Amino acid sequence: MAVRREKAERLADEELMPLVGRKDAEAFEVLYDRHGGAAYSLAYRIVGDRAAAEEVSQEAFISVWRSGARFDAARGSVRSWLLSVVRNRAIDFLRSKAGKAPKLDFDDEAALEQRPATERTEEEALRRETAGEVRGAIGNLPGEQAKVIELAYFGGFSHSEIAQMLQLPMGTVKGRMRLGLEKIRGELAEGLA
Amino acid sequence: MNGSDHNQWSEDLAAYMLGALTPDEVAEFERHLEGCERCQGEVRWFEPALQSLPESVERQEPPPRLRAALMAEVRADAKAQPRAASAKRRSRGWFLRPAVGFAVLVLAIAIAGYEIGKGGSEGGGSASPLVTHENGITMKMVPDGDGGTLHLANLHQLPSGKVLEAWVRREGKIEAVPALLVPDRRGQAETAVADMSGVDTVMVTEEPQGGSEEPTGDAIVTMSVPQ
Repeated sequence: MAVRREKAERLADEELMPLVGRKDAEAFEVLYDRHGGAAYSLAYRIVGDRAAAEEVSQEAFISVWRSGARFDAARGSVRSWLLSVVRNRAIDFLRSKAGKAPKLDFDDEAALEQRPATERTEEEALRRETAGEVRGAIGNLPGEQAKVIELAYFGGFSHSEIAQMLQLPMGTVKGRMRLGLEKIRGELAEGLA
Repeated sequence: MNGSDHNQWSEDLAAYMLGALTPDEVAEFERHLEGCERCQGEVRWFEPALQSLPESVERQEPPPRLRAALMAEVRADAKAQPRAASAKRRSRGWFLRPAVGFAVLVLAIAIAGYEIGKGGSEGGGSASPLVTHENGITMKMVPDGDGGTLHLANLHQLPSGKVLEAWVRREGKIEAVPALLVPDRRGQAETAVADMSGVDTVMVTEEPQGGSEEPTGDAIVTMSVPQ
């Protein structure tokens, strides 16, 4: 039997998930209300288009609704799991769009040069629109570290693709990824201290 | 394993966490990870950094219709669960037949108030068109008074001797929409549905020439109608 909305609102995410697994729409609605904004924001950040972000978000939440029982609390929070579902869907969406590569937020002329002019124009517009979006922990990173992390996490590029784009050795790309994550992690640890 | 050998895995670890390894590299790394406590510890240590990335993006407000469409689909799906289970027990009725009805219901997609092109409705009210996409087919129901017009696009040409037939489910009973659907050269077809009151699902099946009294095959496209 479905729990009432008020009761669901008092439950932690981890308590809602078993209810979602039993197809409780109220529990799912509470989950969406808590995390829908972050999910849509992440989808928009990756796909760079509101209609596409809407489609990706809907697909991701429906996937969560249908596979809620697969959530494993031992592997992280509900929110991080949910956002990872959104991220994967968004990257899949980008990859499914033949010829439409992910947008970049950096002044990465080498990467842009490899794309047709129409795409460059689109990307330029998107890039300007979203300039300055990167903030928080990643915004404090040195540019070259932020760039490789952005391209990998938000762009869905592999380390070898990034190396090719930036004309860097793969080891350098992986090294910058590690240094960047270490710095973010260090700042988070300092914040907790 | 000595420290030098391990450096390779340390180098790959951040790329692994950022999803930047190829599938083969992921498989190789995970085989190593399974037996390496040092890397397992590093993965755990890096996890909060990774989790901070999606939180770092600028907040966007999702459109209200996203919530409305999502919950319409979820509620239709939730309602379908006990009905399908009940049908399985009783083995009665085409729509509730496990092999067909349950799969159709689980796949039901309702996009309430979906904006069609520019200038569409933002509100998601009952008078807004409903649109669903399934099997590459787009089905749109445009309300008109008590009924509506059902539009289908991206249809394949039908085999000889076949037509498309639309069905509505009202209070658990399946009713045929009188006019059969025949795709035109552009793969489009439409038919009127005189009365949509109480209808919770619209679906289309492929039927023999002349239509059928009841659906004989799986739905090629199904739409849940929010109540």
